[in-house]
Amino acid sequence: MTDNRTLRWFLFAYLALVFVFIFAPIFFSVVFSFNSDRFPTIPLGSFTLKWYQTVWNDPDVWEAARTSLTVSLSTATIATALGFATAYTDYRYSFRLKPIYLGLVLLPPTIPLIIMALAMLAWFAKLGISGQVMSIIIAHSVLTAPFAMAIIRLRLSQMDPSLEAAAWNLGANEWSAMRRVIVPFCRPAIISSFCLTAAVSFDEFAISWFVSGLNKTIPVIILEIVTGNIDPQVNAIGSFVFLVSMTLVIIAQVVLMTRRKKEN
Amino acid sequence: MVAPLVEFRSVVKRFDDFVAVEDVNFTIDAGEFVAIMGPSGCGKTTTLRMLAGLEAPSEGNILMDGRVMNDVPAHERDTPLVWQSLALFPFLTARENVEFGLQMRGVGAAECRRRALEWLDRMEISEFAERDIASLSGGQKQRVALARSLVIEPRILLLDEPLSALDANLVIRMQSVLTKLQRELGITFVYVTHSQSEAFAMADRVVIMSRGHISQIGSPKDIYRAPANRFVAEFVGRNNIISGAVTKTAAKTVTIEGSLGSFTVQTGQHDAPRKGDVARFVVAADLAQISVKKPNSGNVIPCSLISEEFIGSVVTLFLEAEDGSELKVQLQERELSKMNLKSATTIYLSWADEHGHYIGVD
Amino acid sequence: MTDSDPSRSTAPAVKTFSLFKQTFRLPIVLWQSLFFIGPLCFMVAMSFFIVRNYRMQEDFVMKNWAKMLGRDYFWDSYFLTWGLAGIGTIVTMTVAFPAAYTLAFKVSESVRRWAIFMLIIPFFTSYLVRIFSWYVILAESGVINAGLSYLGLGPFVMLNTKFGTVVGYMTLTLPLVIILQTFALSNIDRSLVEAAFNLGCRPFRTIYRVILPMARTGLIIAAVFCFILSFGDFVSPYYLGGSKPPTLPILIVDTVKSGQQWPRAAVVAVVMMVTLFVVAFAGIMAAYRRRVG
Repeated sequence: MTDNRTLRWFLFAYLALVFVFIFAPIFFSVVFSFNSDRFPTIPLGSFTLKWYQTVWNDPDVWEAARTSLTVSLSTATIATALGFATAYTDYRYSFRLKPIYLGLVLLPPTIPLIIMALAMLAWFAKLGISGQVMSIIIAHSVLTAPFAMAIIRLRLSQMDPSLEAAAWNLGANEWSAMRRVIVPFCRPAIISSFCLTAAVSFDEFAISWFVSGLNKTIPVIILEIVTGNIDPQVNAIGSFVFLVSMTLVIIAQVVLMTRRKKEN
Repeated sequence: MVAPLVEFRSVVKRFDDFVAVEDVNFTIDAGEFVAIMGPSGCGKTTTLRMLAGLEAPSEGNILMDGRVMNDVPAHERDTPLVWQSLALFPFLTARENVEFGLQMRGVGAAECRRRALEWLDRMEISEFAERDIASLSGGQKQRVALARSLVIEPRILLLDEPLSALDANLVIRMQSVLTKLQRELGITFVYVTHSQSEAFAMADRVVIMSRGHISQIGSPKDIYRAPANRFVAEFVGRNNIISGAVTKTAAKTVTIEGSLGSFTVQTGQHDAPRKGDVARFVVAADLAQISVKKPNSGNVIPCSLISEEFIGSVVTLFLEAEDGSELKVQLQERELSKMNLKSATTIYLSWADEHGHYIGVD
Repeated sequence: MTDSDPSRSTAPAVKTFSLFKQTFRLPIVLWQSLFFIGPLCFMVAMSFFIVRNYRMQEDFVMKNWAKMLGRDYFWDSYFLTWGLAGIGTIVTMTVAFPAAYTLAFKVSESVRRWAIFMLIIPFFTSYLVRIFSWYVILAESGVINAGLSYLGLGPFVMLNTKFGTVVGYMTLTLPLVIILQTFALSNIDRSLVEAAFNLGCRPFRTIYRVILPMARTGLIIAAVFCFILSFGDFVSPYYLGGSKPPTLPILIVDTVKSGQQWPRAAVVAVVMMVTLFVVAFAGIMAAYRRRVG
């Protein structure tokens, strides 16, 4: 391919610009969280930690953080367990209604969140569990199980197909083989799914907003602040949120990459 | 008389519409090294997997020690398998891999460790005991796989083309390791392969399969010298297959006449054919003779030389008869050099009566 | 079929009912039926319920549908949502393309993997906070306008405009679209591109004569995802677009948050779902269509 140097440099500059666009809001949010001015703009004010202090001292924020923690950990556990069971079923068994089975599992991310939020709100109200932390957990696990399933399924397809049979052959019954071979092999994918589903749950605002009632999660707190005036507290909370989600997503990716490299 | 260790009785295996294995009957005695051999798709691996309990027979019975095993699940059989892909657990070290089968049988941790290390030492890879599987070479992994299966002291070991992924020089070495192991341990080996040389080098008895059926069972020598049918004759060794119509039948012989001439062979174990049937017989390439002068004895075919193939001290000559069919002769290189074939226009292929081996009608 | 096809061994020995199998197969079926299919079906049914005395009652009336579909503001909202999502998709696909092209053709395998690694991060993190951040950046006295004022330009009104909404949509979809486009482009057969060069086709022409047609399937899928995500988003039009006139998602939010008229919201939701289903279907047909003749 003939390589036009100016074209190359233009393309790299363009790519850099695109990345700037994508990461700018994160960058500015963090920068402004330390900015003393009430309204964030340039030129910057002085460095301050007062927004962080305000947030730190706000009991509502702590309450929401606790709720968010409970919700995301519970969601991650349920979603990863369901995702694993489904991925294994897809890997090992074939049966007539399989396409419908897979569709049932993989469909949720294709439905817009706002519609899911409305549907969940009404349904949980009918079931009498609206406004409880449990309902958020259930909704989030429905939403995130497909991600867990996809990640674990991918990992299973990298497994030597004889591995499970080798365990049976050496005297392990199905449950032992699952415990001693399948699960250990899938461990990086399980960890990755756990982190990713926790991250998605942690950031999810639409369903939480509708369904949580008084049990607000962090995103719901953010929504409420943002609906009011410009409040720099949001930047402080936002930075914390970025830190948590980004860490989880990075762990999720790194865990998968290092294992794969090790095996090749 | 001791009952056989393994028995297959009229076993059939179907996968939906596809019949993988049909009418399989054979026995394996304790302490034998049996090879199941055939081209890919012949059903040999399916047969092995049924013995291990990884597939259930559609019909028929599989017995071990006289007990019907059809409903016994895989993990309750004592039939460890050495896999083609080795199937070593990548998240365990070599030693942990070897310990696995013992742990499944409830052996205590200290004992597991001792026995695993003992076997790793026996396979001469104890320095790799704590290594991850991924860091081992092909030959080392092979030895771990063997140790893993043998440490549980089974009566029978199954092997599914275990050497197919190894380099050629390693294959020869592993073959002698396997043969030696089998003799030392005195246990039964059931070895599946598509390679004739592997099967014949190691096995006491060979089961040849083709398209789901057993074509012949016998010692390597018997099969080599007396192929039972056309498939085996073509698959094993270098054989000339000559066919023709039956013109005369007698008590123990039959005369076959085809485009290459008329020849009489002993019928041996086969039933006498009827006149007019198309029948075949085989002349092994290394039993055929060539000369530049026409011999006086009965079985002669004049040919011309097409090509030669040298494999070290043995040469295979490819000849063409007058009707266009290809014939093969194998002889020692030093014999060949004594003859002067270059100047001869016609080479005469001949064989003694007893070297014609009848393989029956179509 | 070869004999050594281990994937075919589904179970050792014969067992008609396997507790093991059901333990792994069933849970998700029960869970999704109860908590995914259930809510959606109920929502569709709810669009036929009635609200009397500020309480919702289960019933079967066409009133909600008649009211909603008969109102101008609904259809205005519908077409506005279409338009915004459409523009958002076109803009995002166009902005993403040179970036995806660079990643697919101009960088090494490891750089590409790092770029995708980086792009996955924002896609899974805190869309809401990022939009709020944009609110502040795009404000009349925000970072961009302040910066431009040094150059003597502006101030530009970017908030409460369609421009703001599109910026928001891009924040949501750009990372995903770049990843999908990169994937589509890097999977085409390079030798065909080289053949085109060899036949005298100049680089830019090669893009639309050779590369785009070959990557068509993946690109259409990327566009469909982008459209669906944008169509269903309420945060961008709400916070960056001024929320008036409202898009369909905003209608749902307003309806739910301001009273009990959930059936009306359900009508909007069902219309959205049907629309998106049709778009997805059409997209898949277009993506996988084979040229005849």
